Amino acid sequence: MHYLDYIADTFILVPLAAIILNNICPKKFAEANFHLLSGVVTVFQMLAVVAAFFLMSENHFSAYPFSVLGKAISPQVGVFNLTSVSLVFLFCAGLVSFISVLIAKRTIDANKISYVNLLMTLLIGMNGMLLVNDLFSLYVFLDVVGISSFVMIALFRSRTDLEGSIKYLVISALATIFILTALSFIFMQTGSLSYDVINSNLLKIAVHPLNVMLYFALILLIAGFAIKTGVVPFHSWLPDAHQSADTSISVLLSGIVIKVAGIYGFVVLTQLFAGVPAVQVSLAALGILTIVAGALLALRQDHFKRIVAYSSVSQMGYILLGLSTGSMLGLVGAIAHVFSHATFKSTLFANAAALHEQTGTLDINEMGGLQNRMPVTALSSIIAFLSTAGIPPFMGFWSKFLIITALWNTGHKILGGIALCASILTAAYFLRLQKKVFFGKTPAKLSSVSEITGSIKFAEILLTAITSIVGVLFPLILLYLQSLNLV
Amino acid sequence: METIIYISLAFLLSFCIMAVMSRSILKSAIYLAAASAALGVVMFLLGAKWASVFEVSVCSGLVTVIFISAISLSNMKIEDVHKLYDDKKRMAYLPYVLLFGGFTMITFVLTKDINLTVVAQSTMEDFQNIFWNTRMADILGQITAILIGGIAVIVLLKEGAK
Repeated sequence: MHYLDYIADTFILVPLAAIILNNICPKKFAEANFHLLSGVVTVFQMLAVVAAFFLMSENHFSAYPFSVLGKAISPQVGVFNLTSVSLVFLFCAGLVSFISVLIAKRTIDANKISYVNLLMTLLIGMNGMLLVNDLFSLYVFLDVVGISSFVMIALFRSRTDLEGSIKYLVISALATIFILTALSFIFMQTGSLSYDVINSNLLKIAVHPLNVMLYFALILLIAGFAIKTGVVPFHSWLPDAHQSADTSISVLLSGIVIKVAGIYGFVVLTQLFAGVPAVQVSLAALGILTIVAGALLALRQDHFKRIVAYSSVSQMGYILLGLSTGSMLGLVGAIAHVFSHATFKSTLFANAAALHEQTGTLDINEMGGLQNRMPVTALSSIIAFLSTAGIPPFMGFWSKFLIITALWNTGHKILGGIALCASILTAAYFLRLQKKVFFGKTPAKLSSVSEITGSIKFAEILLTAITSIVGVLFPLILLYLQSLNLV
Repeated sequence: METIIYISLAFLLSFCIMAVMSRSILKSAIYLAAASAALGVVMFLLGAKWASVFEVSVCSGLVTVIFISAISLSNMKIEDVHKLYDDKKRMAYLPYVLLFGGFTMITFVLTKDINLTVVAQSTMEDFQNIFWNTRMADILGQITAILIGGIAVIVLLKEGAK
């Protein structure tokens, strides 16, 4: 077996082993050290991705098929496949899960063992989605992600938790019905759900003008993944789910779940249906609508987490625009924005956790002048906002730059112009947020507030460093990836 | 054979509507079992014999037993078992909407040249190979789904937790 086999197996087996370990340990020990076990697993995932990246580039593998537990590799359906795109998502999954653990260490007082179990099953679901090369297997792991997320949102069983989770469950179930129906139509047309077979068969079928079933399948697939991503007009579940869940879970939902369950589905869709113009037109329309509507809705909110949730909705639109170009530059921009969004959005949720822990509220009208009392939170929030708005030299600037350049190069100048102008809206709602929370006069009841300490502060500093350093070094990173023929 | 398939599909649709519309959770569970049995018949006639076996034994049998056990163990009062709808008039039209939608879809399919009855290839002899080699990813996914089910029961139904 190649070393890559051992590394690739760990993406599924390590979280599974963690669940077993979490439940066989004595309960008090497991609860006291819940953050250690889950933290180790998430850091291990990030290190495994880095190791896999260097091994793949050294051996000039663009993709690496493998089977868990070292069975004979077969190019048939059911085998996992490690690609450069899935490596980025896997790293983001590890990073955001690690941030969630850091936040949970402070915010979660009960159900710690269940939190670890659910985080590990969520990780298995996401990793599985990113590694399979068959649409039905993708659907199975998509369901795993959906159920894990639903239970995590309802973890503390308060009325608001249950309301948000039921809303998510019902709408998510609709998405899975759409996707499963689409899979059945695709199977009837192509005779297989393996990516390779679909890719080779679909172009022959797609050009037939009266292939109603295929276009119906496309509509259902796009609708299903749009619901999972939370793009407009399928976004109604997202703000309520984010607001009602504990912040350690909100960071997972916004930071990685909507990307893996939704955006990665769109990445697969654009690669399978590469020759079908209707896909690109649909994604462009959804993308531009989402960017503008999400930003306008964020302007109206007064709850910190709801503003951040609507911001996530808006930023997903940029990723869809990048994918809609159908070009390599657009894909690179979209994947880069997945990474940058994971970092700056996780920063903002870490800020939300810090503010809630120290002030007891997330209503921005009840805050003010906290920059002197919480300087680390304020600075990290400002850097995250600048990155979100696409201000150089932060990571968000580069990813948006690539997307808008891709739009321009492929002749979508108007869409590029609208996306550029929408950054002004992004700046507007975040400036309002920053002004109300960190500047101005401090209310009397917050006069004794001090900076957050411990794991949440570490999370803020870590993410700010990543956003800044990767942003400054991004041109060099891009050149390095070009030298490896990965972009 | 096609006639039996269409009759089974009609039963499937009817039992599904009755499961959703029923005001008794117990009756909903029984209607769901009947719907699974009808689906099992359709699967068997289309050649997916193993899928039919699993559908009837697990979905129609085991899951129904679990539902009925849970309902009986919950010590609910009989009046609490009945669901109450606030918008009875709107819900009353739902079966007609579903039947109209089903009729439209069937008409659409019959008028277009769409081959619906795709008979599954025989998989009896290579069942083991498919389960443990070809569909390994799905098996791992299902194991994880079962794990989540157990965790969800603990999280959502544990007594004393807020």
